[in-house]
Amino acid sequence: MAPKTNGRGVQVEDTKICVVMVGLPARGKSYIAQRAQRYLTWLSIPSKTFNVGNYRRHDAPQPSADFFDNSNAEGERRRRAAAEAAFADMLGWFRQGGVIGILDATNSTKERRKWVMDLCTREGIEVLFVESKCDNEELIMANIRDVKTTSPDYQGQDPEAAALDFRNRIKHYEKVYKTIDEDGDESHYTYLKMMDVGSQVIINRIQDYLQSRVVYYLMNLHIRPRSVWLSRHGESMYNLSGRIGGDTDLSPRGQQYARRLPELVRQSVGDDRPLTVWTSTLKRTIATAHYLPANYNQLQWKALDELDAGVCDGMTYQEIKDVYPEDFVARDEDKYNYRYRGGESYRDVVIRLEPIIMELERSEDILIVTHQAILRCIYAYFMKKDQSRSPWMNVPLHCLIKLTPRAYGTDEERYQADIPAVSTWRGKGSTAKHEDPIPEASMSR
Amino acid sequence: MDTLLTADIAANAPRYRRKSSTFIDGIHDVPDANRAPAQLYSTMSGRLFHSGRIAIVMVGLPARGKTLGVKTRIFHLGDYRRATVGQGNDVPEDYFYPDASPASVVLRQKILKKCREDIYAWLNHENGQVAIYDAVNPTATGRRALAKEFAKHDVQTLFLESYVDDENILRENARNVKISSPDFFDMDPDEAAKLYLRRMGTKIPTFETMDEKELNYIKMINAGQKFFYNNVSFNYLSHRIVFYLTNTHIKSRATYFVRAGAAQGEESYKADAPLSEEGIRYSQLMAESLLKHREKEHAALVARGSDPAPMRQLTVWCSTRVRTLQTADAFKDRGFKVRQRTQMSQINPGVCERLSERAIRRLYPEEISKHELDPYHHRYPRAESYHDLAVRLEPIILELEREQNDLVIIAHESVLRVLYAYLMHCSTMDIPKLTFPRNEIIEIIPAAYQNEAKRIHIPGLDPNTVPGSPEDIRIPVPESSGADTPNALPEPALSPPIDLKISSFDKPPEKVVNTAAEAVRDKIADED
Repeated sequence: MAPKTNGRGVQVEDTKICVVMVGLPARGKSYIAQRAQRYLTWLSIPSKTFNVGNYRRHDAPQPSADFFDNSNAEGERRRRAAAEAAFADMLGWFRQGGVIGILDATNSTKERRKWVMDLCTREGIEVLFVESKCDNEELIMANIRDVKTTSPDYQGQDPEAAALDFRNRIKHYEKVYKTIDEDGDESHYTYLKMMDVGSQVIINRIQDYLQSRVVYYLMNLHIRPRSVWLSRHGESMYNLSGRIGGDTDLSPRGQQYARRLPELVRQSVGDDRPLTVWTSTLKRTIATAHYLPANYNQLQWKALDELDAGVCDGMTYQEIKDVYPEDFVARDEDKYNYRYRGGESYRDVVIRLEPIIMELERSEDILIVTHQAILRCIYAYFMKKDQSRSPWMNVPLHCLIKLTPRAYGTDEERYQADIPAVSTWRGKGSTAKHEDPIPEASMSR
Repeated sequence: MDTLLTADIAANAPRYRRKSSTFIDGIHDVPDANRAPAQLYSTMSGRLFHSGRIAIVMVGLPARGKTLGVKTRIFHLGDYRRATVGQGNDVPEDYFYPDASPASVVLRQKILKKCREDIYAWLNHENGQVAIYDAVNPTATGRRALAKEFAKHDVQTLFLESYVDDENILRENARNVKISSPDFFDMDPDEAAKLYLRRMGTKIPTFETMDEKELNYIKMINAGQKFFYNNVSFNYLSHRIVFYLTNTHIKSRATYFVRAGAAQGEESYKADAPLSEEGIRYSQLMAESLLKHREKEHAALVARGSDPAPMRQLTVWCSTRVRTLQTADAFKDRGFKVRQRTQMSQINPGVCERLSERAIRRLYPEEISKHELDPYHHRYPRAESYHDLAVRLEPIILELEREQNDLVIIAHESVLRVLYAYLMHCSTMDIPKLTFPRNEIIEIIPAAYQNEAKRIHIPGLDPNTVPGSPEDIRIPVPESSGADTPNALPEPALSPPIDLKISSFDKPPEKVVNTAAEAVRDKIADED
């Protein structure tokens, strides 16, 4: 039999986990699955979501509620076939190096869970059940409203009729639904059960580190409305001379931005509620946050310091090209993975930012004043940016970005301070001190 | 009110403060340090301003916890009772009964009041953040009242219950505790267990497991197999507590600490130089010694017939610095898996690395005084403090707790200091001073109440490479007369003279006996 955990004989890097979502429709399962995948992908952990609904739609694009009635033999057969197809694809994906596969379906019966469990165990894949159990009517209604307007199942249908049909569909599921370990005979499963959006949580038999990471991340998610504001520091003396790194003061224009920032933030927040401000430990971010209101709590994070350029710290790109020509080329070839001599790569930065992301997920309104590379990584997390492109994004100085996480994606707004600053964006191969960004480098899109 | 007066004096006497004192992590009483190595961030007061003050209230189980990283103190109600009643005196017969006589009730309330007053005083006036209130707290009514009272003092309450319904664990627990309690000295283990359980039954006849929907509580079920959280999403610290509780499962496996070999040329953080010839020789000797040691230990086990299980797998972790990577090659070449961890890079010395002490004094006089005030938290320009390093290493620490294979950690001395301090519960103030000579492999064997460190000698090394490489930036020493001439040119980088006296190595403690065992014993002897 294949080993179940990364215990004796199995190395952590050989771990494969199937995250099996459990719960009635409209309980936020897909939302949870999607967030988990975004987080794992950002950390370079190969992960993929397999949504059984999508497979079912090949065969039954817009079925009515009675299709989901357990006594409907034909509906039952097709739904089972969809689950089998999704699972087969997931197995194929695991064989090609997948690490965390997310099976997004209701999996609301013991039989279905046992079926998944047995198949995974045979393949040496760990199973982590993640259940979202919710009896809060208001929340369910909000989800239903969302579904009837966005689900392909109801495209082009009368919204009221769609809502009614969806409610009936849920009723069919409710008839057979069993919450995990309801009868006490699933206590050997590894599971996370979140009830009424985290007001109660049960964790059972977490086996290893990767599982605990996923569980901890999911426990930190919340759905209270909030935003995250991002800003680079004001223009610095090194920005003016085209040098990277360092710990220089703000330029006069950077100072101007610092003075302008409180107003910009207030305009963006819309009211007088105070934000919590996170800066790096470097002078230029602290100075940029200096004029923010006294009732804003400020925290300095070492983890928000700029990417460490090692031996190249304080150089211009031309100097780097002159002194370390191979490094200059190597960096442009793979900017995400290139690690400066004695310094860091973007990949290293993402790893060091992971606790920050965790803390961000848990928090409410936060304003982060940090540096170009750091901002690119945080932005990439929220906006699902590709690793090959995020290090090349243009993040202009003197601009406040507001990100608001929504159920399926993140909204972005920008506030320009209208204080001129140099451009620190650099195209591939270029050694120019300052150059205008090309349109593809803009962050949105 | 003689008894109260006595309680006052006694509870404040050093003897009692020994137990109810400032713990770095809820277990270890380290009077001169109040923060544990790993902590996300703190303020000057030592309190996280955005987290507020928290009382962790133990329900049914004795106080033992893991690193929280903030100023924590345990208040054992039992200490207060003993102080009030006095040594050698018995509490009234009905003291623990729910239907106690009025006199006993008055006495009980007096004791409770004193204990709680101390908690408020500590939280309000001594910058305390987490008070652990250690008493049985068996009834729902009592717990509700308690939470209400703490709330009145602006203290959030988090209840922590250990709930066991697994027969095997129950029996095992009862058998274990009797060993440490003098009451059961010399008794047959099974008899003692039975007696203990009976006693628990009479003393706390009305124990109600937690089911109060409106309270914040964590129920740890069957020794960590399952966790139930109720309403705990209220702040940062609760989350840390939850996370640590969920993630600390030290398996009985070995962790080995070894240094990276010496690098070529002068020591420099930025240069990130490869191993010198002696460094390569070191890596080979070290790997050989370690593997030989493991085989010897295992052979001894087999000979004793006590453990026929095969040797555990060995995994190697190193940082992404060239030296540690190359040192790890000695294992890689022997077929072991090596994992690179970027968080394990050495402490960043910042701009002062290549400066002489004199130059630092001249260029950054104010930094020197700050450093002397708090060498653990102070950060030189663009450098990392040990605190920064500990924060950076936190994910590694958590993964360490989860790792199931035996583990070799190849790292720079600064990293070993922090990891060692975590596992062996050293004071944060001692962290910068711990030394790890290169000719020794440190083996750490975790156990429930006692971590043990063994030192394995690596023979045949060049004595010059044994002492530590210059660690972070030099820690300033009092100025010698005339050392500092004004207007002098910046000093060239000096390689520091090696004048370490081997005998005076400030070795880390090798054995730490947790006071938690004591707490358990104490708890059993008389329930509150």
